[in-house]
Amino acid sequence: MELVYSESRDRQEAAELSDRELALRARRGDSVAFEALVTRKTPAVVSVARRIVGDGEDARDVAQLVFLRVWEQLARYDEKFSFNTWLYRITTNLSIDFLRSSRSRERAHGATLHLVRLREEMTGAQTTHALESGELARLFEMVSSRLTGKQKAVFVLKEMEDCDTKEIAQILACGESTVRNHLFNARRILRRELARICPGLLEGRRT
Amino acid sequence: MSAPCDAVRNLLPGYLEDALPAADVREFRGHLTSCDSCRDAVVSREPSLLFTRVTRDQVSPEDVARVLSGVRTGIALQEAERKLTLARSNGRRRRAALGSAAAVAVLTLLLPGTAPRPARTAATAVAPPVEAAAPGFAPAARGSSRTFPADATIYDWNPGAGVEEPRVVWIVDRSLDI
Repeated sequence: MELVYSESRDRQEAAELSDRELALRARRGDSVAFEALVTRKTPAVVSVARRIVGDGEDARDVAQLVFLRVWEQLARYDEKFSFNTWLYRITTNLSIDFLRSSRSRERAHGATLHLVRLREEMTGAQTTHALESGELARLFEMVSSRLTGKQKAVFVLKEMEDCDTKEIAQILACGESTVRNHLFNARRILRRELARICPGLLEGRRT
Repeated sequence: MSAPCDAVRNLLPGYLEDALPAADVREFRGHLTSCDSCRDAVVSREPSLLFTRVTRDQVSPEDVARVLSGVRTGIALQEAERKLTLARSNGRRRRAALGSAAAVAVLTLLLPGTAPRPARTAATAVAPPVEAAAPGFAPAARGSSRTFPADATIYDWNPGAGVEEPRVVWIVDRSLDI
């Protein structure tokens, strides 16, 4: 009974700690702190992974791999840096690896069918106003399939996760000019794909 | 069009060139989430900004529980694998140590002068008549039927042993050219 109470108290205490403090406790082998970290960070990790790998189920698989990697490499976490930056680095790396895997290539065939349906839905009168976030997410999944993993990661971090260029450069372990190049190319490809897949979507918005 | 809308739309070139200070970026993004008119104007000039409206997926508590459960299982498997690897490596070390000990023992017996030698007994003193020696090599302790090669050297490990105490004998057949 005392043990249950103690665990519950530990969890409550862990929930009040910052990410960095939880990471440091987890590094010392505190499993309650690690689980609190997993619980807190899963939505962000799944969200980023989902945008890069393009599928919710795959994103959850990637999230599991991310936290396993975090657990393995906690000793290498440099506490001078934000925990989020380190976590996003692992997330984007594993998501990009996943994209390259044969499994995601198989899914690409299935995506073509969705693309045809989506194209039928999007041509015509629909406007950006009518597009709900879920549909936008599906549209992004379609048009972003032409982006490389790095381009996609940069676009997702910049436009959807509100990270700044310096932080993205730290996450992807590259220079800020490289981030800008990836972003520039990602926008160009997305423009082209949007015009190709759903030309009617943007025409109604011209002002 | 209100003044803030004008101001925000003017920020677009700087935003696309990644040249805005953080405060302006926040203002630009914040305004687009609440102003449909500006969002449409911005998207018409840069269609990829359509996707800034994509919000985070709702990750249900069940999904979080699934991820956590998968992570727990993964860590447990890793831990089990680590222990197994450790046990295997200990076993290998033990076998290697035994192997080394055996090799040392054999070398000790085969290489003259490397270790204290057992008492050497002249072959003629122990070996039976030549005619009994087949080209092969018969193990010792066969009573009267035992046979030895003609050119055998017999090392008696404990020559002073009595009848009760077992005798250890090492026989080297010098006639074999190996």
